[in-house]
Amino acid sequence: MNLNRRQVLWAGGGIGAAVLLAACGGGDETSAKSPARANEKPRPGGTLRVGALGRASAITRDPHGTQANESDYLIISLVYDTLTVPGTKPNTVPRLAANWQASDDLKTWRFTLAKGAKFHDGTPVTAEDVVWSLKRLRNTPAGASRLPGIKAENIRAEGDDAVVLVSDYANAELPLLTRLTTFVLKKDTADKDLAKAPGTGPFKLDWFRSGNARLVRNDDWYGGDVYLDAIEVKIFESPQAMGNALLAGQIDVASNVGAVAARTAEKRDDIQIVRRPNDMAMPIVMRTADGPFADAKVREALRLAVDREAMVKQVLSGYGTVANDILGTGDPAYAKDLPQRGRDLAKAKQLLKEAGFDTSKTYKLLTTEDIAGLAESATLFATQVREAGVKVEVVKQESATFWDKTWLKGDLYTTYWGTNDSVVFFASKTMVSDSGQNEAGWKNKEFDAAYRKAMATKDPAARTEVLHELQRIEYDESGYLLWGMADGIDLAGAAVRNLPTLPGYGRVQLEQAWLAR
Amino acid sequence: MAGSLTRDEPAEGTVVPRPVPAVIRTVWYAAGVLARRILLLAGLLAAVFAAVELLPGDAADATSERGESAADLARRRHLLGLDRPVAERFWDWMTGLPTGDLGTSARGEPVADLLAHPFPNTLLLGGLALLLTLVASVALGCWAAAKPGSPLDRAVSASATGILALPEFVVAVALVLVFALWADWLPAVTLTDADGSPASWRMLVLPVLALAVPQIGWNTRIVRAALADEATAAHIETAVLDGLPRRRILTHHLLPGALPTIAAGIATSTGMLLGGAVVVETIFNYPGIGSVLAGAVADRDSPVIAGVVAVTGAVITGVLLLADLVRAWASGGRT
Repeated sequence: MNLNRRQVLWAGGGIGAAVLLAACGGGDETSAKSPARANEKPRPGGTLRVGALGRASAITRDPHGTQANESDYLIISLVYDTLTVPGTKPNTVPRLAANWQASDDLKTWRFTLAKGAKFHDGTPVTAEDVVWSLKRLRNTPAGASRLPGIKAENIRAEGDDAVVLVSDYANAELPLLTRLTTFVLKKDTADKDLAKAPGTGPFKLDWFRSGNARLVRNDDWYGGDVYLDAIEVKIFESPQAMGNALLAGQIDVASNVGAVAARTAEKRDDIQIVRRPNDMAMPIVMRTADGPFADAKVREALRLAVDREAMVKQVLSGYGTVANDILGTGDPAYAKDLPQRGRDLAKAKQLLKEAGFDTSKTYKLLTTEDIAGLAESATLFATQVREAGVKVEVVKQESATFWDKTWLKGDLYTTYWGTNDSVVFFASKTMVSDSGQNEAGWKNKEFDAAYRKAMATKDPAARTEVLHELQRIEYDESGYLLWGMADGIDLAGAAVRNLPTLPGYGRVQLEQAWLAR
Repeated sequence: MAGSLTRDEPAEGTVVPRPVPAVIRTVWYAAGVLARRILLLAGLLAAVFAAVELLPGDAADATSERGESAADLARRRHLLGLDRPVAERFWDWMTGLPTGDLGTSARGEPVADLLAHPFPNTLLLGGLALLLTLVASVALGCWAAAKPGSPLDRAVSASATGILALPEFVVAVALVLVFALWADWLPAVTLTDADGSPASWRMLVLPVLALAVPQIGWNTRIVRAALADEATAAHIETAVLDGLPRRRILTHHLLPGALPTIAAGIATSTGMLLGGAVVVETIFNYPGIGSVLAGAVADRDSPVIAGVVAVTGAVITGVLLLADLVRAWASGGRT
């Protein structure tokens, strides 16, 4: 039995059990690892048992509430429909909204509802229901960030089957904003009835208890064939326990279980590892507004000092890809042609010298343990940049302290984002001068102009061109050092077919899944 | 006057104080202890509210989404009532307590609902572990004490010391490894069914063992020591000299004398079991209050934390009271 140090370390966490098991000679199961069998015909029937992360204290049943639990979001997404959902290319595809058109000034957007869409109690979905739901969403404390630029009074019905949203400013990517949490409920659903409120989604709620739920197929779903009879969602507090449950055959899918579990499952022939690229960005933020990293040369030096391959290999256990300091790597409009930055210590040192950077000082890099790998990325980064003569000390902060004191304010800190299929998402949220979450305090007139031009360009090809220019500026001057992208990782039993491979919340689209058994 | 234990003669013309029957004395004693414990619990709950206040950030921060403006946050804070003084919030929460109202979580769920299934589950887990601890430690302790100084006695005592030093998570991980993933005899994690309780009794085996094993180690030592202590008492020596059978001496003379100490040991384990449950529940994904508590602390969710403290505090108070009564009864007024 040959265990490496990392595996032995993980054994303490419980999941190492599987490593030992695999090493002790598992693999007597017959089926093989093969997620893609395109010629197979989907088989109807069966119950899919899905494990998802969540904490019992954070359970919420409100589709428009603050969802911290992946398990809650999964349940809600299967029962209720959003107007649009994430796709591969384009990144926004129809759901309850069958199609959408913009006015010439890109401010007024008209969404036409899908034909035949019905609530689970049989009543048809009307534009009034959608308007009521969107207004309800907009009026939550988080409403302004969920539907940015759209005031509640600017959401209105047009006839029975269309909804019009008017944005305060031109926004070519408005449909993208409706992918998350625009869940539609019946008009005037009272808060106390939320738990049993009928949705329009591919599955109906059978029961819900303490974060666990059983959902049964909605045979009347307007969105196409659903194969599974039922989905059972099981809430897991820790990825370790979820991994163990999958290895022991107690669940069929361990959703977003992470790289550590994947490594232990590599040796098992009867388990599929589903990799969803571009799932999580963990950039390092260097403050541009003031402080030691305000000089663009210093930021460029750090970007050249980091060893990206080593970061992906060690921090992400190899389950990821090298990135190029531009956020939104999954966007079809992502600028793939910009030269990939590599490690160049000599040039980094030279840039630091030119900028007069004080290498005698030790700089603090603030981080948290909010997500797996984040604090590790900070530590490895600190080791790597030391070779360029920059002394960095990693300071781990407790989550609440970090978001309160460091985020948006610190000179050097780690952050993370789970929506990575849109360049514009980051530009609008974190990089335009007046954006609410300008993490690096970046103000760049050229970038702002490119952003505004992109937002006002209706023709997709022309917009992609403007977005390319925007990404070039970001690549050269922003406050981000994005060394890599983590894959989202699900584990699945051998019989599970057609799981989504989309990043982020695309993983909840289980309506196409089926079981080969 | 039958039953009178007082030697003082009542003074002329005064009302003769009626002697207090033993039952009433016991109830009175119990009520006194209970009142003190309830006060203690109330103090603890106040401390919970104060402690959450001292942590950085609050529930509004914890439940906000990225990008909420200061005004949005202020609105959220107001919705959660966090803009009121902590004393006022504590008072509101406490006054709801007698009616069973445990307040509302920061995410808008009634705390009583959040605890409705997890709390009985934890009670079941802890209760079974406590029962197993009691039976196993008394049996092992008696077994070892039957032949003091024998190899058996030394073996039991040594292994008891060994396992009492094991943290629950080590036991838990080892159990999952051996019995679930390697031998495939028992489930690795606990899954719940439609009524919110574990789907099968088999899912309880490993968590109960993980929780009970360290406590069995601890209590076996206590039982063994209490029996050894008692064995030096004069009446035991008399019983031995009288030629009573060993078994009878153990059950009729040794154990009753050692009972107060054993009761105290087991009562102490209640707290340890509930504490250990937080860890064990995470490893086995057991649907108890451990995960509720851990998450609530991260969210600065005072009503949820206080709710967990209140219900577990009530249980521990009950068990300690029971232990006190057992001790008072067993020692027959000797203390």
